[in-house]
Amino acid sequence: MTGAWRLAFRNLRRHRRRNVVTGVAIALGYMGLVVLGGYAGWAERLIRTGSVYMQHRGHLAVYAKGGLKRAEAKPSAYALPPETQEKIVAALRADPRVAHVGRYLIGSGIVGNGCKSFAMRAVGAEPDLERRLASHPEMIAIWGRATGPVSGRAFFDAPGAEAPVVVAPRLARALEKARPSPGGVPATADAPLDCGAPDVRQRLAADPFVQLGARTADGSFGAAEAQVVGLYRPASTEEDKTALVAPIELLQRLYDTDRVTYVAAFLRDHRDRAAVERDLAVRLRDAGVDVSIHRFDDPVANPFYAGTMAFLGALVLFVVLLVANVVAFSVLNAMTLAAIERSREMGTLRSLGFTRTQVRGLFLRESALLTITSVLAGAAFAAAAALVVEAADVRFEPPGSGTPVHLQFMPAPEVFLGTGGLFLVLTLAATFIAVRRKVRTPVAELLVEVAA
Amino acid sequence: MTSAFFALFAALTAVAPPGTPDAAALLRDSDRARGGLAEGVSWTLTVESTEEGTSTRRTMDVRARNTDALAETTAPPRKKGEVILFNDRNLWFLKPGLRRPVAISARQRLQGEASNGDAASTNYARDYTGTVVGDEIVDGEPVWKLDLVARSKDVTYDRIRYWISKRRRLGVKAEFLTVGGDLFKTATFEYGNRVRIPGGQEIDFVSKMTIRDAMGAGGTTVLTYESPRAETHAPSVFNVNNVVR
Repeated sequence: MTGAWRLAFRNLRRHRRRNVVTGVAIALGYMGLVVLGGYAGWAERLIRTGSVYMQHRGHLAVYAKGGLKRAEAKPSAYALPPETQEKIVAALRADPRVAHVGRYLIGSGIVGNGCKSFAMRAVGAEPDLERRLASHPEMIAIWGRATGPVSGRAFFDAPGAEAPVVVAPRLARALEKARPSPGGVPATADAPLDCGAPDVRQRLAADPFVQLGARTADGSFGAAEAQVVGLYRPASTEEDKTALVAPIELLQRLYDTDRVTYVAAFLRDHRDRAAVERDLAVRLRDAGVDVSIHRFDDPVANPFYAGTMAFLGALVLFVVLLVANVVAFSVLNAMTLAAIERSREMGTLRSLGFTRTQVRGLFLRESALLTITSVLAGAAFAAAAALVVEAADVRFEPPGSGTPVHLQFMPAPEVFLGTGGLFLVLTLAATFIAVRRKVRTPVAELLVEVAA
Repeated sequence: MTSAFFALFAALTAVAPPGTPDAAALLRDSDRARGGLAEGVSWTLTVESTEEGTSTRRTMDVRARNTDALAETTAPPRKKGEVILFNDRNLWFLKPGLRRPVAISARQRLQGEASNGDAASTNYARDYTGTVVGDEIVDGEPVWKLDLVARSKDVTYDRIRYWISKRRRLGVKAEFLTVGGDLFKTATFEYGNRVRIPGGQEIDFVSKMTIRDAMGAGGTTVLTYESPRAETHAPSVFNVNNVVR
């Protein structure tokens, strides 16, 4: 420590009470922002992983031109034919930043139990890929137990089942399939069913099969049978009444098509999405494939993610401005008082040969030391708050999501460093403003000045 | 909603032209020529649809009795054995390999512009409240114009404008409207078939129904009715459990 820093440290200790009060304001403000940053980071990961993995969007989704809006309604014109799928898959697999590639077929229709039918929105996925995504470390870290089936088994984990599907809980209740048993086929499954019989609910509950109906690619009506092997949590409550996930082959049979709605890419690092999108677009254009690529954060493809993040960003910015103002004014106030109280000291230092810059530097060093100490304390408080929240095991259902999640604060190192840097700049600027005019005062005046 | 209300109000309060017949009787008579026979009738139906340059074709054997009907697909081969059962107002879809029938709606599309309900016998007298709102000339033929409003939500269309020939008492033209009163499909009918019903009377029977999309890409679907014949069908023919077996 140089002499100037040692002197600054001693000065901090001399004015302990005022500096403690200022330091506490800085520490608490810092802790608040770090906790807020941690919450925002966790919320972003929650929504991102929900969009990418649970809603099967991938980090990038490649559609036929116009397919984002029209592939479900008119797959014959706006879904991807097999040869285009192959080209897209090959282009994605050639990129080392892409971890997984999957084909998805999305469609609507009805699902019936032999007595009643209900509207459904079905997602057809590749079982092997879904198995890998369900155990993805980021999914487990954020969603925990919610990644597994609510009851029964996942559709990719039901050996021996005929055309296994999983359905959302409310749809399952409507179909009388709330307790699926992925075992063998009961003998009564083939027996005629009287929908007016008093025991019809028990009969329906014991029958694991449902019938899917939909308009096929050629415009006629088609149907296929499926076995409900489990219930799963869809990513949003609005899907709870209609969602069904099935092997893609089953849905292709239902819709009588070999096309898919989109090909999704799951990246090793989500921050590469823009670069991967750019390179993929070039590669596909060179291969003569006319498609549109949508990232998970594309406001058109995923307005929920984009809207929520914009709202969260505005909220964080507002709080940061508020806290930054409080901290800056606290420091400005404390340093202004210090400058007034320490006029004689400043005059004495100037008389001893200290330049104005050196006197100002002394105050700035004091401010820097106070800020660094307070920020370290604030970081410790923030870490303690994160531990307390973790220990409290707070679980809640985010609005619009039917899945309970475990509240976590996950401040990234850049949040700690960035907030610390912001506070240092703020306090140094406030100190500079507070002492700037005072150090310009003539030495004789400083020596005779009496603090109020 | 408001426009539908005013349309209904206008229909109910319209001053009927002199000599206006009873709308329900007109509908009953016109229904007979579109399969609504209490005694039972069978025909072969071919549905050909053209949409955005793509054509599809399906042939069905239809058996109807009063408000029930059974339509079994015979072609194309990969659709063979698919059945639509109309049991009163309940509709079921079945195909080989399904353990259970699928409950479907009369409004769901069968193929092209044709809804499931279009493939069966017509029972407008039962399903709609009709009002004669005027008389016009359609293709040189004097007709009564009727406004039909659905009696329940499970019928094929919410509202229909229906033109019935004054002389032949047959429906010659229809406009199908949404609940909001927007036109979305039109249909014309031809009656080149004759059916001898029990009692020896021979009646005109529909031979062609041409449905045109009035909102979107302008697709056209033609339903051709061939070999209509009066036949007695047991009620058990239309029992869903019997069909599943």
